[in-house]
Amino acid sequence: MPEITLVEAVNLALARAMAEDPEVLVLGEDVGTEGGVFRATEGLQKRFGDERVIDTPLAEGAIAGISVGLAAQGFRPVAEIQFTGFIYPVIDQLANHAARLRTRTRGRLSCPLVVRSPYGGGIRAIEHHSESPEAMFAHIPGLRVVIPSSPARAYGLLLAAIRDPDPVVFFEPTRLYRAVRERVEDDGEALPLDRCFILREGSDITLISWGAMTRETLAAADRLAQEGIAAEVVDVATLKPLDSDTLLESVAKTGRVVIVHEAPLSVGVGAEIAARLAERGLVSLLAPIARVTGWDTVMPYPRLERHYLPSETRILDAARRVLAYQ
Amino acid sequence: MAVFVLPDLGEGLQEAELVQWHVSEGDNVVADQPLVSVETEKAVVEVPSPYSGRIARLYAKPGERIRVGAPLVEFDEGPRADTGTVVGELAAAAPPAAAPPRGAEPVAAKPAVRAAPAVRALAQRLGVDLAALTPSGPNGTVTSADVERAARAALAQAPAEILSGVRRAMALNMARAHAEIVPATVVDEADIEAWPPKTDVTIRLVRAIVAGVAASPGLNAWYDGRNMERRILPQIDLGIAVDTEEGLFVPVLRNVGARDAADLRRGLERMKADVRARTVPVAELRGQTITLSNFGMFAGRFAALVIVPPQVAILGAGRIRAAPVVADGRIVPHRLLPLSLTFDHRAVTGGEAARFLKAAIADLERAE
Amino acid sequence: MSVDTTEAPLAPPEAWRAPLSPTVARFEIRYSRFLDPKGKPVRPLPDFAHDRAELVALYRAMVLARTFDTKAVALQRTGRLGTYASALGQEAVAVGVASAMRPEDVLLPSFREHGAQLWRGVSLVELFLFWGGDERGNDFAKAREDFPVCVPVGTHAPHAVGVALALKLRREPRVAVCIFGDGATSKGDVAEALNMAGVWHLPAVFVVNNNQWAISLPRSRQSAAETLAQKAIAAGFDGEQVDGNDVIAVREAAARALAKARAGGGPHLIEALTYRLSDHTTADDAGRYRSSAEVSAHWSEDPIARLRHYLVDNGMWSKADEERLLADSADSVEAAARHYLATPPPPPEAMFDFTYAALPKDLAEQRRAALDIVEQ
Repeated sequence: MPEITLVEAVNLALARAMAEDPEVLVLGEDVGTEGGVFRATEGLQKRFGDERVIDTPLAEGAIAGISVGLAAQGFRPVAEIQFTGFIYPVIDQLANHAARLRTRTRGRLSCPLVVRSPYGGGIRAIEHHSESPEAMFAHIPGLRVVIPSSPARAYGLLLAAIRDPDPVVFFEPTRLYRAVRERVEDDGEALPLDRCFILREGSDITLISWGAMTRETLAAADRLAQEGIAAEVVDVATLKPLDSDTLLESVAKTGRVVIVHEAPLSVGVGAEIAARLAERGLVSLLAPIARVTGWDTVMPYPRLERHYLPSETRILDAARRVLAYQ
Repeated sequence: MAVFVLPDLGEGLQEAELVQWHVSEGDNVVADQPLVSVETEKAVVEVPSPYSGRIARLYAKPGERIRVGAPLVEFDEGPRADTGTVVGELAAAAPPAAAPPRGAEPVAAKPAVRAAPAVRALAQRLGVDLAALTPSGPNGTVTSADVERAARAALAQAPAEILSGVRRAMALNMARAHAEIVPATVVDEADIEAWPPKTDVTIRLVRAIVAGVAASPGLNAWYDGRNMERRILPQIDLGIAVDTEEGLFVPVLRNVGARDAADLRRGLERMKADVRARTVPVAELRGQTITLSNFGMFAGRFAALVIVPPQVAILGAGRIRAAPVVADGRIVPHRLLPLSLTFDHRAVTGGEAARFLKAAIADLERAE
Repeated sequence: MSVDTTEAPLAPPEAWRAPLSPTVARFEIRYSRFLDPKGKPVRPLPDFAHDRAELVALYRAMVLARTFDTKAVALQRTGRLGTYASALGQEAVAVGVASAMRPEDVLLPSFREHGAQLWRGVSLVELFLFWGGDERGNDFAKAREDFPVCVPVGTHAPHAVGVALALKLRREPRVAVCIFGDGATSKGDVAEALNMAGVWHLPAVFVVNNNQWAISLPRSRQSAAETLAQKAIAAGFDGEQVDGNDVIAVREAAARALAKARAGGGPHLIEALTYRLSDHTTADDAGRYRSSAEVSAHWSEDPIARLRHYLVDNGMWSKADEERLLADSADSVEAAARHYLATPPPPPEAMFDFTYAALPKDLAEQRRAALDIVEQ
């Protein structure tokens, strides 16, 4: 079993899903001949043909809209939005239609579509290419928001997303696309949605994160371990619906929490997690919940990017403050 | 209010039947908009609105005949109310409420104790008053260490002792009993008015137990919960609870069913002496098939006692007292001996227990 | 507001064009009408219009649509229906288009095509339920693949493209029919959809239900394009205009467009010119932005009266027929209204049902909490 990168795992999962289910389609800009600007759809059109891997004209809103029509007709479209900076028009079709088609027709019509998009910063890209808008999507009822943090989880979660009967937005951390290699078995096994993953067990402090920030979070956990502190690292993976049980179990164990996300602070998904932990885990808490996040500013141009993204140092600072809290 | 009457429909027709309204009360219509279809002899005719306005009232129903010149529709004059929307209904503002009465002067707030929720929960569990503590955390926050220290100080008056010996054994046995047994208790009183003076209570109780076992052998048994095996024992080896300074002893009086009163008495005396001298052989502390606790020697009427497995029953005797009873239709004072039979409901039924108790009481109520 | 950036009179358009350069593209938009407002044929009628049964079916459907419409407005006025978008005067567009469709085609309406939904098999009760604020009205017993009403203007045009793409991928001889208004043609979604339908040569028919008004904005201020039909030209396929109040013209154009799409000829756009005789919705007061004289004038183009005149003039429709139809329509609508009014709302927990295929845990907890509140 070779070691593959996250983007290769996405490719593997797409190929697998398309081989298993003739209703799975891939569509988007430059996904066919070009194989996707990040090569996520490399080789798919050659293998499955241009009626299953479709190069669309340049229109993100319509890409999402035609996916709604295709899905209502029983196909399983996997639409690529080339960069999350271009995903905002898609919110219209997801919020107004995909996420509510099942409920407004009482189940007569439904929308098993996936919108996947490279997301997040740290790749020194031009503006608009480093967005983290996951909170906007997580706020839409009827939608699922899934963010893998490793090649194996990208494979398993994408398969789950494609097989899910409801619309899923699948954000792929661009920074991790090629940064990590891992053995991934192409066994068609999906990972569970709506479930957090414990990346590392510990009983002194809980570090909660998702996407590319799990790397800095794990690095911080390593440093803490050297100081004799056992940090538990949780990858949320499905931001909506949230697996409160796993998070609460961890807090009951440690009593101390740091949430790490690169999206801006205010009204981020970290706020939702903190609210739930406070609502139901209050008497477990030994210190206030800390959040280490991007600032409430526009993601700066690349020259200042490293001052925006949460660093291992910022995470460690927060963790130590939380541990020291009396 | 302008009233539109049914116009002359031509051909000398004086009336028409109303077939269907095309507008409703409240509608805004324009001139020439069809208001209603009426049926003449020749055709169904649409009657258009004479002018634009709001329909206030329709004067007839489908199926009714209307005469030419009779009122058909009443129009509302006056401006149309602005809904202020194109979708939904916007509630209008309610008239402002009367100014609320001024409340009493606010009481100066007591400064709140600063403590994390987990610390508060800890204080509650340990029964520590947060306000009485001197906080040692930053910004005057009470820490969990503060709470624990205060709890320990409160307990400092009482020296801790680690259980050993008899007390330890009791603690372990009772815990095990609690974990395994499913106890149920039935209570009653024996009327011992007939007893002659100086009757030996313990011997009578032993005899009563023998009678009870004869009636309900299932209470003289051992039960193994793990394998769900019950062993009804042929011999009654009676455990007798004895309270000493060191703690609770339950030495065994062997085969009480086959011994006479004198023999039992001798056995009891020797047992008490051994217990006092702490010379009870270990073997004599094991193998009880049923137990008697005469706690009434001190105080107490009824009690739900603890059965030590593998036994399935224990009989408790409470304090003898004189109490009013009804005898021959009159209320008279008799001496009563309260009895509490606790049994393991995994192995003994209520019926078996009740029959035991009935037989025991019957035996106790005999004079000799 | 008129945005004039110059004060001097403008030069004619030709003055701004490249001189001496050959023309590389032209287009033409045709207009068709068969019956004038008084119901008199202005040209030979198409074949189906020689069949009394076909015409009567169209007439009955328009009358039923209007009867439903009148009742819906009345119910709203008496607080028994929510805000309702009347289709008064536009019955021929809806009925003409739907009558040309096959049952296996897919309809994606906006919110002013009740006559089309009714023709397709959506029941009167289902329509009352929807406008009465009950999702069960969208769970059509028939026309199971038709989309429900689309409120965000024009956002269903891409859905139609997706549906048409699905039909084409499956090689099915079926067509997606998308109806939207004149206002919708200004939306990016519609432009994107037309473009994709064109470049992919999809079996999609787009119908612009041009009633001349987008709430308070008249057609003349919605677009500088001479016709809305020509937006199809920009997307690479044909568009045409029809008299939207002539149900024969609408039906004829729709039948042609559907046959073309079904045969693999690609998409088509029909701009049906009609007039919104009602307010935008029951909460709107159109008197704020247009004169009643203008509306009165358009009553002379009433599509129902027009066809009736033709039928009566040609001995195809008697007084008894008219009475019977009015009575039948009234009975059907009244019965449906009674059924709707007697239908209790769904239980509160229905809010949670169908949010996802299977209720996630935290939503199940919210559902329990919501039920507790109700029970108190």
